[in-house]
Amino acid sequence: MENSLLQAFIDWTGKIGLHYEFLASGYEAQIWRGGFITTLYLIVLLIPVSLAFGLLFAAMLTSGRKLISAPVRALIEITRNTPTLVQLMFSFLVLNTFVSNVLGGAQNNPLSPFFWVVAIVGLHVAALHADAIRAGIEAVPEQTVEAARAIGFSRLQILRFVEAPLAIRASLPAIVNNLINLVKLTTVGNAIAVSEITYASIMVWTQRDNVVELMIVILLFFSAINLTLARIGHWIEKRLAVPGFGVGS
Amino acid sequence: MTNANILPASTQSRLPWLFGAVIVLAAIWLLADLSLLSTLVEWLPYLGSGFLMNVLISLLAMAGGTVLGVVLGILELAPLKIVRYPVVFYVQVFRNAPHLVLIFATTYIFPFEIVVFGHYLPFPDWLKAVIGLAIPASAYVAEITRGAIQSIPTTQWEAAKGLGFSRLQALRWIILPQCARRSLPPWMNLFASITMASALASLVGVHELLHAATDASTAVRRLDFTVLAYVVVMTAFFILCYPISSLTRRLERRMKA
Repeated sequence: MENSLLQAFIDWTGKIGLHYEFLASGYEAQIWRGGFITTLYLIVLLIPVSLAFGLLFAAMLTSGRKLISAPVRALIEITRNTPTLVQLMFSFLVLNTFVSNVLGGAQNNPLSPFFWVVAIVGLHVAALHADAIRAGIEAVPEQTVEAARAIGFSRLQILRFVEAPLAIRASLPAIVNNLINLVKLTTVGNAIAVSEITYASIMVWTQRDNVVELMIVILLFFSAINLTLARIGHWIEKRLAVPGFGVGS
Repeated sequence: MTNANILPASTQSRLPWLFGAVIVLAAIWLLADLSLLSTLVEWLPYLGSGFLMNVLISLLAMAGGTVLGVVLGILELAPLKIVRYPVVFYVQVFRNAPHLVLIFATTYIFPFEIVVFGHYLPFPDWLKAVIGLAIPASAYVAEITRGAIQSIPTTQWEAAKGLGFSRLQALRWIILPQCARRSLPPWMNLFASITMASALASLVGVHELLHAATDASTAVRRLDFTVLAYVVVMTAFFILCYPISSLTRRLERRMKA
């Protein structure tokens, strides 16, 4: 059933001049499928990692202590103003070599290219999340906080019951935006030979010379993921909307 | 592409100092090891030529992307569905596509030379990277333009109509001039983002800064020089992008007030 459907697809696209024959061959189809799975795996892993670190950074940023907030501030500025690819190359070529040297040789180094992609892209997006959450906390009206203080809320209670719920709503659009960015950033793994979708595609098109065909599928793949993410974000925004607060209502 | 990031004034003024401290530390490190300094001086022109390529790619990509994007943004609001739908599809697909994928697409799909009236013109890789970055830039500019046009109150359209302006005349003389001011901060954000994305061109073999740094570090084969080369790359991008982003933030704050 599945094979005949695939064959029908190959025949049909062949008629309009697109060559997807490699899908019927075992080896290249497997590489390509592996590329899609790796990209999806990266995305599924990176979303919670970036959110967890984003919350941590946001807490550090709004702690009010300069010693704690200054390193996060510096991280945010570096992240915002230097290319992710350069950050990745720097950490892979420099930090990874340091780790190898300390552990006595590359064979003892447990850190894979995959780890570095998760670490760099995760921290990069976490820094952007933290900035968005901080802006959300600052967007909470001063009067609301004062009112909470007046009826006897402690500082922690204000954060828990007043600031955090409103800040999350205010920063949600920016966070969804960052997550879409995250999906796109997973492709930098290509530079250090993580076999995500662009890397796998290069392996296929150097054999088959069918760049256009692969590109159509890749573009639709990323559009589908990002549209889904945007939809989910929009749905959550609507669910959480507080009447009379923010633009989401 | 996040906006609404208002820094407290105190941290804003402290950051350049922090950055200055890093440069001073680097200078001390270089003076402590003069052989490293001389190697760096030897390679600086090579790195500089790479960085000029980054600037060139991002300027051309932004110029092309802006012209195309403004037209697309206007077409996104066209009353005819047959015009609007393909444009919206283009914007959606290319805004959601990773820049790297588009650079690969233009590099491997376009031929290495083109024939114009029997003359063979070379089609270099860096120009393909420019097109690969101009495509997502145009999609972003289209969204910025559409948002700016929609943010202008509809009463202005009606007033223009009342004064006898046609739809196009109203767009040209009344709506677009106001849009230019409103869309400046997101446009500058995009400019910084495209500048940083120009580093991706190194993956298709364009001689730009990151590529130059990789060349230099493989030629010299010293770990400390490798560290230094990448620090120089980061610093170069930071010096270019930080003023843009801090200016954007200042503009955003002023417009909100």
